[in-house]
Amino acid sequence: MPSAAVIGVGMIPFGKHPDRSIVDMGAEATFLALKDAGIRPPQVNACFFANAFAGRLFGDMTLGQHVFWEVGINKVPIINVENACASGSTAFYLAYNMIAAGQADMVLVVGAEKLYVPEIGLINSGETEFETQLGLLASAGFALRAIRHMNEFGTTPQQLAQVAVKNRRHGQLNPFAQFREPITVEEVLNSPMIVEPFTRLQCCPNADGAAAVIVCSPSIAKKLSRAVNIDAAILCTGSYENPQDLTYWGTDYRACGLAYEKAGIGPEDLDVVECHDAFTIAEILHYEALGLCAKGEGGQLVERGETMLGGRFPVNVSGGLLSRGHPVGATGVAQIIEIVTQLRNEAGARQVKGARVGLAHCMGGDKAADTKSCTIIVLSA
Amino acid sequence: METVLNIPPVVSGIFTLPPYDQIQPKLLGGVCPTCNRYYFPRPRYCKGCLGQTEEISLGSKGVIYSFTVIRRKSPLGLPEPYSVGYVDLEESGLRVFSLLDSRAIAQLRIGLKVRLVVEPLGHDGHGAPRLRPYFTPITVG
Repeated sequence: MPSAAVIGVGMIPFGKHPDRSIVDMGAEATFLALKDAGIRPPQVNACFFANAFAGRLFGDMTLGQHVFWEVGINKVPIINVENACASGSTAFYLAYNMIAAGQADMVLVVGAEKLYVPEIGLINSGETEFETQLGLLASAGFALRAIRHMNEFGTTPQQLAQVAVKNRRHGQLNPFAQFREPITVEEVLNSPMIVEPFTRLQCCPNADGAAAVIVCSPSIAKKLSRAVNIDAAILCTGSYENPQDLTYWGTDYRACGLAYEKAGIGPEDLDVVECHDAFTIAEILHYEALGLCAKGEGGQLVERGETMLGGRFPVNVSGGLLSRGHPVGATGVAQIIEIVTQLRNEAGARQVKGARVGLAHCMGGDKAADTKSCTIIVLSA
Repeated sequence: METVLNIPPVVSGIFTLPPYDQIQPKLLGGVCPTCNRYYFPRPRYCKGCLGQTEEISLGSKGVIYSFTVIRRKSPLGLPEPYSVGYVDLEESGLRVFSLLDSRAIAQLRIGLKVRLVVEPLGHDGHGAPRLRPYFTPITVG
């Protein structure tokens, strides 16, 4: 029997919201989730708020208390969470565990971020990291993996580009995605070079946005027809052992393995997957870690169209980070919302027919050629 | 006049400081005398036994494991374009992140033998020059 369930979701379209604050966006997403679940503020026992960059960009801290009071939630525990790109999914992991431990019956998880600010530049891990001082950027960390994967397994620039093309085809069908114009492999490869081998269309764009979900105990969920079960919520941290093999993240494999074990499923049981496609190579590496194909064959999997909507393993039918944009703290929550929407059979034109089991994968941070955090959430109808 | 000698290192303790005269600059790391485990950079404690690590030279030679070229606006006053990569160090077997020679981008490939150079390169984020280490191809002959 599942330990917790999702009973409400809400998000605002990701994109440029120059006139809106993080608090304003977060409050609207929260409001929408409360309405979706039919929950009133006094029923919420605890809240987690995820954000990664407001401290650096705006000098903000403890924004969660502001967000939740906008929708009339006070007095209950509020916890602010930062885990880089996995901030939102880490907040979800905490909410799940709080309910599984019997410490709460109804917990809100909200992620919000504002990244369209002038001169943000390319994102790095922070000035105190020696690697940042030696020129490491988040994009370069993924590029070094791509070059090595291409060298060892013959993954091609065209296969990388096909990830972007596929996710944009999906994004066309998602009203919450920021970029919805179709693109071709040629357009992807001919867009400006950012960090070799990634052209602009292979790098997830920035975004402003907010997303919210409500997690509750099974006893509440069983009375609600649109509840979605949480079968596993896993968080793994990097090993940082040296040397690291850059053709995969050991942390990715560990997290996927633990999630399958906890949920009692395997890759063949998955109907729909959202994964952290921050750069095209990342999605290919995640196919392999998730066991959708053998190690080294991720490029061929996307080339054969198997991860397209209608294929054997539909991946990032929301459009992924590549089409939706990446408001860092909100992304992990938005991925969960996509899976919940699919399992509720409410995804409209991008609905995976008969989806019963879905998985949301997220990853955040870079340290010593490893990821800092990897989360896997398994959900079922 | 500003010379290499009075430009501070971008991070202290990760490479030997000038003057080098005829001696190669070397990367500095840490080793645990109990576990014989190598680290770069040198940590305060050994991750295995929590004993104190000792500073150790990691030499100046290695082989490129992977590399990339950053073609957008460079951070920290680095050259445009510039290159970074992972280098497998010859002596310790550590795989370390490093800048690569931005004047040798056309030569860079996986498996290329490289050696360490330390020069004024870029700034500290506020415009003050800094010494940075980078690996350059070992020229044959």
